[in-house]
Amino acid sequence: MIHAVLIFNTSGIPRLTKFYTPLHQAQQTIVQKIFSLISSRPAGLCNFLDAPELEAFLGPQDDADERWRVVYRSYATLYFVFVVDGAESELGILDLIQVFVESLDRTFENVCELDLVFHFDEVHHILAEIIQGGLVLETNVEEIDSSVQAAAKARRESFTSANPLSLGVGGGAASRNGGLQTPLGWLTGKITGVGAR
Amino acid sequence: MATNMRGLTQFIADIRGARVRELEEKRINKEMANIRKKFKDGNLDGYQKKKYVAKIIFTYILGYKVDVGHMEAVNLISSSKYSEKQIGYLAVTLLMHENSDFLRLVVNSIRKDLDENNEINNCLALHAIANVGGSEMAEALAEDVHRLLISPTSQSFVKKKAALTLLRLYRKHPDVIPAAEWALRIVSIMDDQDLGVVVCVTSLVMALAQDHLEAFAVCYTKAVDRLHRLVIEHEYSAQYAYYKVPSPWLLVKLLRLLQYYAPSGSFASGAHFLIRIKYLILGDPTIRSVLHNVLQTTMNNSAEPSRNVQHNNAQHAVLFEAISLAIHLDTNSPLVGTAAVILARFISSKETNVRYLGLDAMAHLAARADSLEPIKKQQGTIILSLRDKDISVRRRALDLLYSMCDVDNSELIVGELLRYLKVADYALREEMVLKIAILTEKYASSYKWYVDTILQLISSAGEHVGDEVWYRVVQIVTNTEDLQEYAAKVIFEHLKAPSTHESLVKVGGYILGEYGHLIANEAGYSPIEQFQVLHHKSQFCVASTRSLLLSTYIKWVNVFPEIKPQLLNIFERYRHVLDAELQQRACEFYALASRPDDDELLQNVCEEMPPFPARESALLSRLNRKHGDTEDKRTWIHGGKEANLERQATNRKTTLGLQPNGNGSASAAQMDGQDIMGSLAGLDISESTTHNDTPNPPLGSTPISSSASIPDNILRLTVGPSVERWYNKLTYNAEGVLYEDVQIQIGVKSKYQGHLGQLAIYMGNKVSAPLTSFTTTVSVSDPEALSISFAKISPSTIAPRTQTQQLLHVECKKMFTTPPILTVSFLAGSHQTIRIRLPVVVTKFFEHVKLGQADFFERWKLIGGPPREAQTVFPVDLNAANQLDLVKNRQVVSGHNLNVLDGIDPNPNNLVAAGVLHMSVEGKVGCLLRVEPNRDAKLCRLTVRSTSENVAEEVQKLLQGPLKADT
Repeated sequence: MIHAVLIFNTSGIPRLTKFYTPLHQAQQTIVQKIFSLISSRPAGLCNFLDAPELEAFLGPQDDADERWRVVYRSYATLYFVFVVDGAESELGILDLIQVFVESLDRTFENVCELDLVFHFDEVHHILAEIIQGGLVLETNVEEIDSSVQAAAKARRESFTSANPLSLGVGGGAASRNGGLQTPLGWLTGKITGVGAR
Repeated sequence: MATNMRGLTQFIADIRGARVRELEEKRINKEMANIRKKFKDGNLDGYQKKKYVAKIIFTYILGYKVDVGHMEAVNLISSSKYSEKQIGYLAVTLLMHENSDFLRLVVNSIRKDLDENNEINNCLALHAIANVGGSEMAEALAEDVHRLLISPTSQSFVKKKAALTLLRLYRKHPDVIPAAEWALRIVSIMDDQDLGVVVCVTSLVMALAQDHLEAFAVCYTKAVDRLHRLVIEHEYSAQYAYYKVPSPWLLVKLLRLLQYYAPSGSFASGAHFLIRIKYLILGDPTIRSVLHNVLQTTMNNSAEPSRNVQHNNAQHAVLFEAISLAIHLDTNSPLVGTAAVILARFISSKETNVRYLGLDAMAHLAARADSLEPIKKQQGTIILSLRDKDISVRRRALDLLYSMCDVDNSELIVGELLRYLKVADYALREEMVLKIAILTEKYASSYKWYVDTILQLISSAGEHVGDEVWYRVVQIVTNTEDLQEYAAKVIFEHLKAPSTHESLVKVGGYILGEYGHLIANEAGYSPIEQFQVLHHKSQFCVASTRSLLLSTYIKWVNVFPEIKPQLLNIFERYRHVLDAELQQRACEFYALASRPDDDELLQNVCEEMPPFPARESALLSRLNRKHGDTEDKRTWIHGGKEANLERQATNRKTTLGLQPNGNGSASAAQMDGQDIMGSLAGLDISESTTHNDTPNPPLGSTPISSSASIPDNILRLTVGPSVERWYNKLTYNAEGVLYEDVQIQIGVKSKYQGHLGQLAIYMGNKVSAPLTSFTTTVSVSDPEALSISFAKISPSTIAPRTQTQQLLHVECKKMFTTPPILTVSFLAGSHQTIRIRLPVVVTKFFEHVKLGQADFFERWKLIGGPPREAQTVFPVDLNAANQLDLVKNRQVVSGHNLNVLDGIDPNPNNLVAAGVLHMSVEGKVGCLLRVEPNRDAKLCRLTVRSTSENVAEEVQKLLQGPLKADT
C-alpha cells in the first residue's frame, strides 16, 4: 500500500502532502525528516530508501522485514516522494511517479513548480484519479486526463450557472494566470526560476 | 478553481512573497483570524465559503495546523454546485481522519451522492470514503459501494473507484463484507474489458483472497488467463501499454496475487491441510504450463535491455515479480535456474536500482531454495556490495548475507560482517549485531569460534549489543562444560583492553565469577590479577553492573580465600552508597563473608550454577515479530529455508490463538481464527461424508470448499427434478444433456478407457446476448482418488447463440464415491452460478470381462457373502404391457460398463454381469452382480459381490437408482 505521497522542492518546502494512513506525529516534522534523508543522497544512488527511521512517525511496522520504503524521484527543482510498504513493487512505484508527472504535464502543459503552488487543488484532484486510499486507481495517462477534464468541465458548468456574467472564464485547468507563468517547464530538464518560498 | 478566487491567489502570492518564515507565519495568522471572524459572523454564500475553505486547505498543505473550517467543509459537500462540492470533499479528505467526529455529519451527504444518478458525484463520494472511511462508514455504506461495483449500469470509472473503496472498508471493518459470499461475483469482474477496472479489482481480490483463500480460488485461473493474454497474446488496448510494456502494474499485481496461493508441490506434505483446497486448480497441469510459459517469456524479454529508462523500469518491475513467483512455485525448476543467472548479472549492474532489487530478489531465493550453490558463486560480489556507496544497497546485501549463510560459509560471512561492522553506518549497526549473534549461534562449528566471535562482537560494537545477546552467551557457556575454561581465559584477555564496553564487563563479571577458579592456577590469571582487571572497570559502570560485580566478588570469597581481605574491603565501602540495591547487596554479602571460615553457608550459597533449561533463543523471537490483520501479508522473510517453514507454522498458530493484538487488528485476527476453525470443521465434514453410509451420494457433499463462513446458498448444488434425472441418466450413458435452463444448456460426451477418461462438456448460450465472465471450475472431494483437469483454460465469453466445448481429463486413482462438482458462473445481466455434479462415477472405469458359467459361479462363491456382498430389495415398475422392463434393466447394467453374461442364470428374467474396475493406484478390482426382478411382487433383488467391499456397496447404490421404480 502507498502510505503517503509528497512533493517538495529542493529547499524542503512541501508542495503536496497527502497521507493515506493516520500519522503519529506532526506532518511538518515527517516531511522535514524525509527531506533530510533524501536531500543528503547524491545523484546516482538508487531511488529507494529503507527507512527504519520513519517508524517513529508512521508507527512501527509489525513484521521485522516489513519496512517502510521511500521511493523517490527528482525532477529539476522538485522531489516526488512515495512512502510505501512491502506490498508494492518498488519499480512499479517509480513508474507510477512518472505517470503522475506525465498527467500533471498533460493538464498544465509544461508543468512547473508554480502550477503546483497556485493550483494545489487541481493537483490533488489529479492525484485522486491516480491513487485512491493508498492504492493504484488508474495508470493510463489518457484515462486520467479524461477524468480530470470531465471534472473540470463539471466545475466550469456549475461556475457559469452560478455567475451568468462570467463569460466562461471559469477556470479550466489550462487557463493559467499569465503573469505568473514561467516559460520553461521543468520536464524539459531546465530549472525554472522558483525561489525557496 | 484556485485562479477564480482572487482573494486566494492574492493570499498565495503574499505567502510566496514572504522572505522569512516569521513573515509567512504572520500573514497566515492574520488570514486565519479573518476567516474565523467571517465564519463566526455567518451569512456566507457558497462562493465565500469555498474561498475560505480553499485558503484553509492551502495553509494546511504548507504544514500549518488548522482548527477551523471543518463545519464549512461539511456544508460545502451538500452544495448542489460541483465546484463547491469538490472543494468540500477535498477539505474533508485532507483535514479529517477516520476517527474524526465531523465524519458522522457527512455520512448522509455521502450516501446521497452515492445514490445519485450523477457519476461524477458518485466518484467524489467514493473517493472520500476510500480516504477517510472508518468502521462506522463501513457499516453504513458498504452495501451501497458494493452495489456500485457490481451494477451492470456502472461506468468503468465508477467501478474502479468502488472496488478500491470496498477494499478500504474491508481493511477497516472486515465483518461488514461477506467476502466469501461475494467472492465469485467480485472475481468475475477480473474479466472486465477495461484494464483499469481489472487493476482495481485485482487489488481488491488480492486483499480478500489472503483471508479467504478457498472462496477466491477461482481468481487463480483468472489471473493466469489474464497474464497469458497480456504477455503471450498481447491482447490489450494500446493505451495501457506503458513504454511498450503492457500495463506493468497489472502484471505485477497478478504475479503477486498468485504468490498467495501455496505451490501445488507442497500439498503432499499434508501439513498444508488448510491450503489443500482447490488442489485441482493449482495442481492443474494446463494452468501450470500456461503460467510457466508466461514466466519464461517474461524472463526472455528482459534479455534485451533497451536504452529507455522508463521502459527498462517497467520491464524490470515485472521481471522481479516473475522471478519471485517462480521461486515461490518451485525452487528447483529450470526457471529458477534462469532467474539465478539473471540475478547474478543484476547484482553487478551499473544501475543502482537494479543492484538493489537484484540483491533483494536473491535474498528471496536464498530464503526458499534447497541449494544455496548458485548464490554462493556470487559470494564475492555480495560481500563487495556491503561496501556499496548507497546505504540502501548495503542493507540489502546484509539481508542477503544473512539469508545465504549456512554451516559451510558461516565463518567467512560472519568474519566479513564483523569486519564491516566497525565501519558500518550507525543506523545499520544494531540490526547487524543481532544478525551476527544469531548466525554465530546457529552455525557455530566449534564452541571456541562461537565465544571468540561473540566476544569480539561485544567489544567492537558494545553500545549496539542488546541484553539478550550477552544473556545468551552466559547461557551457552554455563550449559557447556568444555567451554568454561576457554571462555574465562578469553574474556579475561578482552577485559585487559584499556576501554571496554559495559556488556563485556557484565559477561566478564559473570563468567569469571563462576569459572575464574578454573584458570586461577595458570600464570597471568591469578585471583588477584582477575580481581584487579575487573575491579578497575567497575568505576566506569552503572549501578546495575556494579551489583553484578558484587555478586562476582562474593563468589570469589568462596573460591579465592587469598583475596578475601580486598573483597571484604569493597563490601565494607559499598555498605554506605546511596543506591538501595547496591547497599543491600553489600550489606548482605559483607555479613555472609564475615562469618567464620568453617561455616558452610557461604559454600552453599555460592554453589556452581546449574545448567539453564534449554530454551528458544530470545534473539530469533525478537527478529520475528508477528502480526495478523487485513494488511497485505508478506510471502517470505529473510533467513534460511527453515526460518520460512517455521514462520508458516507460527503464523498458523498465532491466527489460531485468537489473541487480540493491538488496536483494531483484534477483530481481524479473530476473523482469521474463525475462518480457520471453520475450514477445520469443514474438513471434518468431508471425512464423515466419504465414510458415510447414506444410500444416495449426499447432495451437500462439497468438502473441498466447505467453510463455515461460506453461506450455504453458494455451495449448495443447483437442484430441480430434471437436474437429478439428467444426472442419473448420464451415470449409465456416455452422452446427453446435463443441465438446461432458459439461458444455458450444458451437455456431456464422454469416453473411458481403463482408468483414464475424457469428458467433453458443451456449453451453449441460448440467449441473444453474450455470456461474459464465463468461469468453469471442477472440484473433487479427494484429489488422491480422482483427478480431473481442464485441457485448457476456458474462454471467458460465449457469444450469443453459440456453443463452446471444454475438454476434461479424468483419471481414477483409487476407489471414490463422491462425483466431482462442476461450477459454472457467468454474467448475463446478473451473476449466475450453477453447481452440478458431473456424471463421473466409479462404474465409468469398469471394463468388460467374459466369463463362462463355471468360472462365474466359482468366483461368485469364492467372494462369498457380506461384507464383500451388497444386497438390496427394492420396488420396480412394470411397463405398459404389465411386464418387467427387461430391456431397461439390461441397458442400465451394460450402461454401467458391466458385461451382461447370457446363459448363466436359468431364469430368463434374471441378469448376471461382470466387470473389472481399473484404478491407477489401487490396481484392478473385479465385480460380479445379479439382478432378480419379480413381476408379481413388483420387487427386485440386486446382489453385488466384489473383492473390495467398498466397490460392491457403491456399485449396488449406483445401479439401484435407475433400476428402481420412479416414485
